[in-house]
Amino acid sequence: MGSKQLIAVGKAALLLVVAIALQTLLVSRVSVLGVTADLFLIFTVVVAISRGSMDGAIFGFVAGVVADVVFVQPLGIRALIYVLTGYVLGMIVLRFATVSPWTVLLMAAGASLFAQFAFGLFQYVIGPRSGFLTMLGVQVLPEAVLDALVAVPVYVLLVRIRVIPLPRVEAAAGRSGAE
Amino acid sequence: MPRNKVAWRRLVFVILIIASLALLTVSFRESESGPVHSVQQFAAGLVSPLQSWGAKVAKPFQDGYQWFKTLWSAHRRADQLEEELQVLQGEVVKLEEQAEENGRLKGLLDLRDKGTYPDGTDFEVAQVIGKSPSRWQAWVMIDKGSADGLRVDLPVVGATPTAGESLAGKGLVGKVTQVFEHTAMVLLITDSGSSVAAKIQGSRAEGIIEGSVSGSLIMDYVDRDIEVNPKLVIVSSGYGGVYPADIPIGIVANVGEEDVNIYKEIEVQAFVDFRVLEEVMVLILPQE
Repeated sequence: MGSKQLIAVGKAALLLVVAIALQTLLVSRVSVLGVTADLFLIFTVVVAISRGSMDGAIFGFVAGVVADVVFVQPLGIRALIYVLTGYVLGMIVLRFATVSPWTVLLMAAGASLFAQFAFGLFQYVIGPRSGFLTMLGVQVLPEAVLDALVAVPVYVLLVRIRVIPLPRVEAAAGRSGAE
Repeated sequence: MPRNKVAWRRLVFVILIIASLALLTVSFRESESGPVHSVQQFAAGLVSPLQSWGAKVAKPFQDGYQWFKTLWSAHRRADQLEEELQVLQGEVVKLEEQAEENGRLKGLLDLRDKGTYPDGTDFEVAQVIGKSPSRWQAWVMIDKGSADGLRVDLPVVGATPTAGESLAGKGLVGKVTQVFEHTAMVLLITDSGSSVAAKIQGSRAEGIIEGSVSGSLIMDYVDRDIEVNPKLVIVSSGYGGVYPADIPIGIVANVGEEDVNIYKEIEVQAFVDFRVLEEVMVLILPQE
């Protein structure tokens, strides 16, 4: 493993520690629209956008396992959802010429919707009844809005302090413009 | 992008999916003392001090927010409480009559006078240090665990601050579902997977109170032939083996009778305001 890769792994580990600390200390206690933001998902989205599908999937897996531990869930459920989220977002972001805050907003909202539906489906399969329209109104849509709104400043901040790089598509566009 | 890099990326993706599914399968199939659960419990134990500390740090801010919220809705709540006071005064008169009757019966039924909780019940007050991250589930994490004598399936009661919008503010909260050394998870009765055997005081009606993802409580399986009036108090019936009898749960808010339903479906207004739950009391029942 080269030094660049070691630094990237270190940054990813740092992101996870920050996610655990912020989620347990702050974010889980701040309820907006009746829901709380999911920093593990948001960080997975941000990593997938900036580093591509493989890194997004790997980070999603680890973040999912950690989230399952923090939220005391059956181990693997969030890992599965976040792996899919990270991989698919990494593939989608390749289609964009540039990644603007609007792109991050839409992708985070889409990822949150997917994660909520997947988690809801899992809940439905393991037993308890859940009214689809009720949950759409009280959990799925508010969570998607909140996650999307939180994802944008998180993305901008992490790029600004160079914890994550500019997305490869954007960097490539920048290089080709300079040449 | 080179072709082998694409293949490598897909391979990693497939491996991660398989690993997730394997974890999920093992997590469901192995016993509570299995290696995956043990690792998870150990890791959760590492996070719990952080949650506990966070709860202490956040409390002044939450109290401040609650104070402003209370001030804002004070007038509306005063009117509501005035109405509720009248209802409760009626209840008090009724209860006093029943207490006198009970007092007389106590002389005859001395051996059956056990009080509210079973003999030998111990109590453990705990702070709420974490809550479920979404409305898909409804649970709280408390700062007491196996080291304090807690075990799975113990009932939990709670009281919300008088500033809350609940009626009496005291009642059944849920039951312990997972126990770690210094923390425990309490499944709230509002969780969609929760069910509590209950009865309505002042009528012969019995049924099952179930939670829902919207956070409301529904009492189902109530005989249609029994008359149920709003504002009657609902308590646990003691059936089912988890919750002792006569723990207050809430009051009848609305009685639904659909022609197609063979049972009454009763909307329950819980005594406990689960949104502002800060302290709970675990009933450590004697082990049989």
